[in-house]
Amino acid sequence: MSIPLDSSGPQMKDYASSQMCTWCDACGDYGIWTAIKKALVELKIHPWQALLCFDVGCHGNMADKLNGYRFHGLHGRVIPFAAGAKIANRTLPVIAVGGDGASFSEGVGHLVHAIRSNYPIVFILHNNANYGLTTGQASALTPKGQKMNVSPNGIPERMLPSMDFVFSLQPTFVARGFSGDIPQLTGILKEAIAHRGFAFVDVLQSCPTYNHFATHDYLLEHCYDVGKEGHDAKNFEKARQLAVDTSQRIATGVLYRDEDVPDFCEELVPRKGKTTELIEEVQSADITRFYPEFI
Amino acid sequence: MPRVSLKIVGASGQGINSIGEILAKGLKRSGYCVFGYREYPSLIKGGHASYQLDVSSEEIASTERTVNILVTLNHHGLQKNLGDVKEGGVIVHAVQDWKFSESELKQLSQRKIRAIFLPVDTILEKLKAKAILGNVLISAFVWALLGRDKESLKALVAERFKKKPQLVEANMQCIEEGFGFTDPAGAVSIALPPPQDRWKKCLLITGSHALGLGAVAAGVRFFAGYPMTPSTPLLTAMADMQNETGMAIKQAEDEITAAQMVSGAMYAGTRAFTTTSGGGFDLMSETLSMNGIIENPVVFVVAQRPGPGTGLPTWTAQADLLMTVYTAHGEFPRAVIGVSGSADAFPLFAGAFNLAEEYQIPVIVLTDKQLMEGLYTQEPFDPSAVSIRRGALVTDPAKLAKLSANDRYDPATKSGVSQRWLPGSEAQTFCAQADEHRPDGSSTEDAAVSQAQISKRLRKGDALKAALPEPEFFGSKQPDILLIGWGSTKTVILDALRDEQLQGKKVGYLHYSYLWPLKTDTFVKLSKSAKKIVLVEGNAQGQLGSLLRQESGIEIREKILKFDGRPFFYDELIERLLPIVSKS
Repeated sequence: MSIPLDSSGPQMKDYASSQMCTWCDACGDYGIWTAIKKALVELKIHPWQALLCFDVGCHGNMADKLNGYRFHGLHGRVIPFAAGAKIANRTLPVIAVGGDGASFSEGVGHLVHAIRSNYPIVFILHNNANYGLTTGQASALTPKGQKMNVSPNGIPERMLPSMDFVFSLQPTFVARGFSGDIPQLTGILKEAIAHRGFAFVDVLQSCPTYNHFATHDYLLEHCYDVGKEGHDAKNFEKARQLAVDTSQRIATGVLYRDEDVPDFCEELVPRKGKTTELIEEVQSADITRFYPEFI
Repeated sequence: MPRVSLKIVGASGQGINSIGEILAKGLKRSGYCVFGYREYPSLIKGGHASYQLDVSSEEIASTERTVNILVTLNHHGLQKNLGDVKEGGVIVHAVQDWKFSESELKQLSQRKIRAIFLPVDTILEKLKAKAILGNVLISAFVWALLGRDKESLKALVAERFKKKPQLVEANMQCIEEGFGFTDPAGAVSIALPPPQDRWKKCLLITGSHALGLGAVAAGVRFFAGYPMTPSTPLLTAMADMQNETGMAIKQAEDEITAAQMVSGAMYAGTRAFTTTSGGGFDLMSETLSMNGIIENPVVFVVAQRPGPGTGLPTWTAQADLLMTVYTAHGEFPRAVIGVSGSADAFPLFAGAFNLAEEYQIPVIVLTDKQLMEGLYTQEPFDPSAVSIRRGALVTDPAKLAKLSANDRYDPATKSGVSQRWLPGSEAQTFCAQADEHRPDGSSTEDAAVSQAQISKRLRKGDALKAALPEPEFFGSKQPDILLIGWGSTKTVILDALRDEQLQGKKVGYLHYSYLWPLKTDTFVKLSKSAKKIVLVEGNAQGQLGSLLRQESGIEIREKILKFDGRPFFYDELIERLLPIVSKS
């Protein structure tokens, strides 16, 4: 625990909202909520310096349960909005938050292209393996055969192998956390925020109301910290293997990171050498320089 | 008004555009007003495509159905386009050993049309030149046919190949050959009216480029888009200018992404836009609604083509007006602006960003294939006419320090426009909340708060409507015949009103640039005195007519509508106007 006691930086109370939390008792969202605030405080990021973007779902109800500049938009679409904001102002730490329904069904294309584009933002996946806010339907990450609302006979589809899928896209940062381990998750988020490009953080969370197969206790028993076992996060193949194979134990921590891949903004030729942000450049530009081609 | 028209036809990819562009530029530089119009199928190679130039010494921005000169690069043009040639016109073709049928020959002779075979292949073989050079050879022959001088064409072509100096010599030889060729049946020429100096300094520019320059002048710094005809030329224009403008350009993975990225960039505080066509805009409509509730300024360009479905991808329409006015769920204000040609594309588009920021609303700029690909002769735009107005955006540190989170969506403001500040500003923070919300953006389901916020947002629409100008009126004061229209039909209507057949008639034209919110005072006033009101629109239902009836109660019964994918042609419009005008 390293909550700063000196008064120069932001305090946890600066992130406190007057709005009451509305999640179910024992919901994993509480842990993720706390870890996000702690990570920002420990990185000395004031609420006014951060942009937190929320998808729609139980996690999205966090949007007014903490301070900071926030955005709470449409289901499945949080990533491109967050990326657009970041491109406009790279000085903002941008964190996008979405659930497994939004990220692996409705807006899966955005996740694919965010990894491909390597936007310099953090994406936190609230992974409770179901659609909580719409009352417990299966998501693409619910195990096959599981009985859920709208699937009284069990889900006919196979579960989407999310981690294998993410690794197939050549990500530059992949981590997995657990909503029940706030200190570890805080550390993961701090590293994700510091990452050069797109940081994918899968957070396994309990859903006490609808997820009866991967409960808090189950996750508590199965999760272990790869950092404590000497995992080298530069080893792509090993990281992929650890991420994919959850049959015995569930690997958590920073699984993979590559700081050598330039982010999307760095790759833009017209932006090379620019010291200003797009938000500082809104002024009428010379158009007459283009006239010769039209004369 | 004396006009001369020429059309180049051939297979897509055969080089008709390059001939069209050379001739258009040459004519403009010689002192003519030129309007270029393309027709092409939705494929890359083959198919039957055309590039038509209508030329005058007076202002012109429309296309005639028949032409004085037809240039055809293949035999299809000789079969399909004979009827497009005016009496006394000339056909130039490059088809070896072509034989017209007896009836065709009779037709040509009756209508005094000369068909000239230009032995392009033989000449190129003699010069050992590549097939692509045939375009310059043909251009040179047509240039001579129009009575233009050789040196001006040489200068133009040399400039075009500035970056490929090794090709200049061969091009010059082709120009010599083109000028040197005389049809065995005798020389022929098509006379142009005397040129006017005023066109020489003009830009020859597509509507897409005019829009692109408008964006640059408006301070746009980010563009995201997904290719879709006919909006793609604007995407291309933005991308092609990026190294000069320093703009960030993103070819997005889909239209929803483009719309969301642009929304995020505008929320962060830069100026950004996206462009698409009807189908792509359908995908963006949820994002439109989202921006409505978070009160985020955002600008969408919708380039119309005929639908429904994939429709006619490479053709034109004005059938998405009602869609842009009504699409997306919930009640929220928006602005819909229709641009009509290069002249207003520049200022209206630049101004769209001001409206978006001043009222914190989505603004949709409606254009169509006709404008996006139409080539206009345009007075250089006046950059000083573009101002950047950002409305209630707070950036001053002292003012930021005084803000309360509740100022963001304060429902007490009379105009409905509340203060806006950007992420990263040292101030109290708020949530840009797409759920219904309290003034600080925290979500609520409270009945009174919900109603107050919906009312607040809609008041912005009222304020916007009050601030927008009335539609622009052209033509005879106190007209007997009042034409009503919007978008790219404007230029053909104005060209038609200048035609001698319509002189002496009291015809006026009311043009709507601001299509939503819709101002009706001028319309109502003119309707009372006009003997007849005629709606001219490129759709099947008279969509502006529906909106006018909804907003004013006045129904326009007389309609000139067209919905076959083609724009109104100059002579066609006159033909349809004359019976209406002569009856009244």
